[in-house]
Amino acid sequence: MTTSLPTTNPPLVCWSCHERTVGTHFCSSCGKVLQVPEHSDFFSLFEIPRKLCVEMGALEQKFLQLSWKLHPDNFVNATPEERDISLKRSSELNDAYRTLRDPVARVEYLLAVEGARKEGQNKQQAPPELLEEVFELNESLDELREAKASGGDTASLKHKLAAAEKSFEGKLSEVDGQLQAAARDWDQAIDQNSDKVRRDAIKTRLNDLLNRRSYIRNLVVNVQKELL
Amino acid sequence: MSRIVGIDLGTTNSLVAYVDAQTGLPKCIPGPSGSTLCPSIVSLDADGSIIVGEPARRRLLTQPERSIYSVKRLMGRGPADVQNELKLFPFRIDPNSNHVIRVQLGERVFTPPEISSFILRELKNWAEAYFGETVDRAVITVPAYFNDAQRQATKDAGKLAGLEVLRLVNEPTAAALAYGLHEKQRGKVAVYDLGGGTFDISILKLISTTEGDIYQVLSTNGDTHLGGDDIDNLLQAFVHEQILQTDQIDFSPHGELAQELRKELIALKHKLSGSESATLRFSLPNGKVYVHEFTRGAFDALIRPVVDRAMVPVNRALSDAQLKPTEVDEVVLVGGTTRTPLIRRTVQEFFDRKPHTELNPDEVVALGAAVQANILDRGVQNMLLLDVTPLSLGIETYGGAVAKIIPRNSTIPASAQELYTTGVDNQTGIDIHVLQGERELAKDCRSLARFTLKVPPAPAGLPRIEVKFLIDANGILQVGAKDVRTGEQHMIEVQPSYGLNDNDIERMLEESIEYAEQDFAERQTIEARTEAESILTATHKALANPNATALREAERARIDATIAALNSAVQGSDYKLIRRQIDELNQATEHLAELLMNSAVQSALQGKNLAEV
Repeated sequence: MTTSLPTTNPPLVCWSCHERTVGTHFCSSCGKVLQVPEHSDFFSLFEIPRKLCVEMGALEQKFLQLSWKLHPDNFVNATPEERDISLKRSSELNDAYRTLRDPVARVEYLLAVEGARKEGQNKQQAPPELLEEVFELNESLDELREAKASGGDTASLKHKLAAAEKSFEGKLSEVDGQLQAAARDWDQAIDQNSDKVRRDAIKTRLNDLLNRRSYIRNLVVNVQKELL
Repeated sequence: MSRIVGIDLGTTNSLVAYVDAQTGLPKCIPGPSGSTLCPSIVSLDADGSIIVGEPARRRLLTQPERSIYSVKRLMGRGPADVQNELKLFPFRIDPNSNHVIRVQLGERVFTPPEISSFILRELKNWAEAYFGETVDRAVITVPAYFNDAQRQATKDAGKLAGLEVLRLVNEPTAAALAYGLHEKQRGKVAVYDLGGGTFDISILKLISTTEGDIYQVLSTNGDTHLGGDDIDNLLQAFVHEQILQTDQIDFSPHGELAQELRKELIALKHKLSGSESATLRFSLPNGKVYVHEFTRGAFDALIRPVVDRAMVPVNRALSDAQLKPTEVDEVVLVGGTTRTPLIRRTVQEFFDRKPHTELNPDEVVALGAAVQANILDRGVQNMLLLDVTPLSLGIETYGGAVAKIIPRNSTIPASAQELYTTGVDNQTGIDIHVLQGERELAKDCRSLARFTLKVPPAPAGLPRIEVKFLIDANGILQVGAKDVRTGEQHMIEVQPSYGLNDNDIERMLEESIEYAEQDFAERQTIEARTEAESILTATHKALANPNATALREAERARIDATIAALNSAVQGSDYKLIRRQIDELNQATEHLAELLMNSAVQSALQGKNLAEV
């Protein structure tokens, strides 16, 4: 790894002993569990750079190691203040692990902390090149609903929809592949310390891919529900 | 700090356990009868006192209208939720129940948490008698699939029983802890827990690290209204139908006759776990005797729907853990109902693996609760439990849809933040509706709470309030809000949609004092005083005996002094002082007892018996 760790943990004063402390999770002077730092994010909590390819084994190790220390089970006989901090810190740890473990949630989170997550102006709007197919799909869905309501023949419609669903699932894995490629670009830009222009371009691309993914995914889920 | 006990508050039976400091192993505490099982049955006596456990079971037959079983089915539920249960269980619900159910016992009404608190108080008494000290902190187990309201109701029950509930632990997870201690299990473990009224399936991953063992729950699923009770109901419906056909006798679930039949059918069910057939003989009010032989095959066919229903959550839990049945390394059976051969066979075939049944399925959950109590007492040393929330947490959005903010099977504690703002100028409140469940529409999910976020008047869109939803390690929701612009924090008073609010609990705590048994110290004092009185009477009687004149003067003076000291100790309420003075008097009167003994022996030789001395 060529990048240094992000310096997101400024010097902090311990809430308990009031000493300046350099600890991330526990006070280096008195050993008490520290408050969640004001400007921390999930990446800094795990002491990893803001990159998108995350080594799962190492992430799990770190999660388990921090769980030992921060879990509320350790603080039953502690002061109410420490109990409260432990609850906040361990929930933050669990939230962070849940997010970073999931490749899509990880991209969403990165864009959110980078201030670059913009959901589509109109989430219902289909990507232009899919318009025709989406139109057809919706028509078949309507027909199926009608046929179901009137007790008509649904078998052929279902067959048609199943084929369409398969096609959209293919598009979904296509988007996932593009998302992975863009994620690798991002990590490379970080490693090479690329300029803001390149980073912003990748962020925009990641954001567009996320919107496209969520659109197709909703479509697939809707069809699956009707086919059940 | 006082000792922490583990309690299994079950539908059918409840138990209390602790970890023995010497062996490091968990152990169940027996009650006065010597059994570790306390039937979860409560009865109200005519004099207003509460009877719990085995004595209450006998009263199910003699005074069904004053007694209740399976109250766990009512915990955390609203009147509309329980209409189906009412067809099958003899619950007498007060028609005036609004958001909280009230159950009629004789001339009084109680909420389900109050009734559960009577059971918990009984177990607390067992533990106090066993240790000879006050017990006021506990870990209580709940079905993994219990929702927020059901968990909160259980916590309330603990509070009403005078227990600080340090943790609610999921029953299958507790069982895994007990098994893990019993025999080092590794890898992926499925816990199939079918109890009296609830079914849970949990998939865990057991990880060994340099610090110790981690029990990580991967997924959990279940049905909080599926259990042995349902098997009993199927048997009962079958027999009712037959008797109705031949003898035109109708059983209402409320009558004594139905309760008597139920008792016989439960015995029959237990017998069929061990033998291939069993015969029911039941005397009818018309003088006839209903006789029916149940073969194992017929029994299996009858209960098949219950066994099949349990497989739905099993499949969901596996799919959430992204595992195939054969990828599970170990399967553990928990709960009395898993003694049923059909269930053992079905589970074994499904996972293609012989399930573990080494630990007593009735005790294993309580033993695990004791292990968790021990962890809390000493801090995480070599075992850590990471559990999950069984249901997704969501908030109602525009059009009655639900936005999921914490997905099911998230490791707890877990949290989610939502940013709120206003839609019109000078809007002073934002309504928030929190729900639990997997469905997409708010009306199909479980309402946890509704509240209004107060906002200072400002132009639309300007206020920014961040609301934090946090599920704690007990699986219970906490809500906090922060004004993003001012940084001001608010705790939000969340009134549960189904449950007791703080005022209810306060009032019940006050009321419970008159129904509660005296607390431990008070009971000890009363017992010590009684003992003191009897030893004082015996001493006075002995001193009046002619043989007592043989005492030396110093001995006599010492006895008189100790009598005076005991008399004054009895005036106070320090039971330890009374006991010490009793011991002193016993020592001081040793010679006196000997003198009388000798005379007694001589009297006996003269043909008198000891009682006449």
